[in-house]
Amino acid sequence: MESVELMETENSEAEQEPPTPEIIIDDILDFKTDKGTIPDPRSVTFTIIGEDHTLGNALRYTIMLNPEVEYCGYSIPHPSEEKLNLRIQTTENITAIEALSKGLEDLRTMCDYIKEKFIKTNLKFDKKASQDEN
Amino acid sequence: MSHNRSNNAERLEQLRTRVKIDRDGVNSISSSDFPFHSSNVYPEFDSIEIFRKKLKIKVIKKSQFEMEFDLIGVDAAIANALRRVMIAEVPTMAIEKVYIYDNTSIIQDEVLAHRLGLIPIKVDPDLFYFKHENERPTDMNTIVFKINHECRYNPRAREDESDPKQLYIGHNLLSSSLIWDPKGEQAERFTDNPIKPVHDDILIAQMRPGQRMELEAHCEKGIGKEHAKWSPVATATYRLMPEIIVKEEITGDLADKFAACFSKGVIDVVEKEINDEMVKTAKVVNPRLDTVSREVLRHKEFDNKVELTRIRDHFIYTVESTGILESERIFIDAIHIMQTKCSRLLLALENKLKELEDERNMMSLDDV
Amino acid sequence: MNNQTSQGPPPPSGPLSSATPRASDNAPKMQYNCADCGTENEIKPKEPLRCKECGHRIMYKQRTKRMVQFEAR
Repeated sequence: MESVELMETENSEAEQEPPTPEIIIDDILDFKTDKGTIPDPRSVTFTIIGEDHTLGNALRYTIMLNPEVEYCGYSIPHPSEEKLNLRIQTTENITAIEALSKGLEDLRTMCDYIKEKFIKTNLKFDKKASQDEN
Repeated sequence: MSHNRSNNAERLEQLRTRVKIDRDGVNSISSSDFPFHSSNVYPEFDSIEIFRKKLKIKVIKKSQFEMEFDLIGVDAAIANALRRVMIAEVPTMAIEKVYIYDNTSIIQDEVLAHRLGLIPIKVDPDLFYFKHENERPTDMNTIVFKINHECRYNPRAREDESDPKQLYIGHNLLSSSLIWDPKGEQAERFTDNPIKPVHDDILIAQMRPGQRMELEAHCEKGIGKEHAKWSPVATATYRLMPEIIVKEEITGDLADKFAACFSKGVIDVVEKEINDEMVKTAKVVNPRLDTVSREVLRHKEFDNKVELTRIRDHFIYTVESTGILESERIFIDAIHIMQTKCSRLLLALENKLKELEDERNMMSLDDV
Repeated sequence: MNNQTSQGPPPPSGPLSSATPRASDNAPKMQYNCADCGTENEIKPKEPLRCKECGHRIMYKQRTKRMVQFEAR
């Protein structure tokens, strides 16, 4: 395609920024507010756009591990809408925002542990396999 | 009394860690590893630290396209998220646009385009960007393939030949006919491993003399959620580790019958000394091989002698790659994608809170 | 299965490299195949529909080299 050829000359320079437009992060999370405040910070329903059961259930699990969380559940209101509702109710010790933030951080840390261990185990397996071959 | 108590503790532990397989269904399915679920004591330990200590991974086997590994000590929510990401969200490159100049074969243009899309293309997707809508194709987001093919009579075929292989030349259009057309710096970037389909022998179309095909195909980066052709796995599944608990020795001919109730290799019949006598006894040797058919629960003679369970936090993953990425790479990519999701949401939450604060400040200014 | 996205002539930036001229570039003359003997015939506007070899009157129009774009889905 001519456009490919055209872009080649424009884009093959190494210092060129990736053409990927920045993802609009502000639009992926929402919750109900009133004049800059959260009506009840201990019980909030978060709306997450563009996520499904993959993140929804994993996040629900990590948030439920928090002893300060009284209730956490998620739902996908309609299957043809890329929308996820996550409900969090907490004790008086923390807010739902804090619970969500901790849940996300915990999930990320868990993934870190799995990755670390997997890479280590996999390397060991490969090493052993190549030793057995020789 | 103490015997009873330990028995109860044992039963509780089983309820906590095992899924029970009964004759007509499964029980004790959901995990209960949540604070205050089975005690009203405030948990002392950080659940993440407990997770780190409990986590175990074992690689069982690897072959050219397939890998089996055990992920032990995680909840189904995490295990399932990773499985789902492997199938639907790890990106690869696949043919997305097909420009057909000539196609006189009996395969219709749109069917041909669809078939081309499903051919796995061996290239590292990390070396390309996603091509967003209205973005122009560049050497950083598009790979170009060309097909220029014609079927002819074989002039050296015998007169009475009926085998198409001998009669015609080029009557099978294979994936090896996809010729990569390097654009921009692609030729230099991929000198060591030129881009081509994973398999050279995928049949795209059958043709007859005089039929021609001339087309250009553009590969783009995408994910399985959008279309299955971008999924890096043929399948990624997990199952829970089966456990067979023999509560009472099963001996004699019953032992053979018992062994026959399970998949091959699960139960061994061994000679064992019981009451100063050598008798045939059933012994569980490799429960991993069991398909948990529950056949054993259909026979009255094994009532109360055997219990089938699955270990709730022992996931046996099977990742079968399409050959574009190695299985282990797909799993690691899946973990990265999960982490990116978390990071993005944390950032979104931060932004939202900042926005809220600004709004609050504006309100208080209005008040003054 | 109607995923044909555009059927117009290739845009100026189409995958056609400008160096190679194509059949559709030059004239409105059309190629036909005789339904009987298969011979290739070139029939111009207003010419009688008849095979120059066998005189058969049924003709199949050949596919042109015009580019058609499809989504591989």
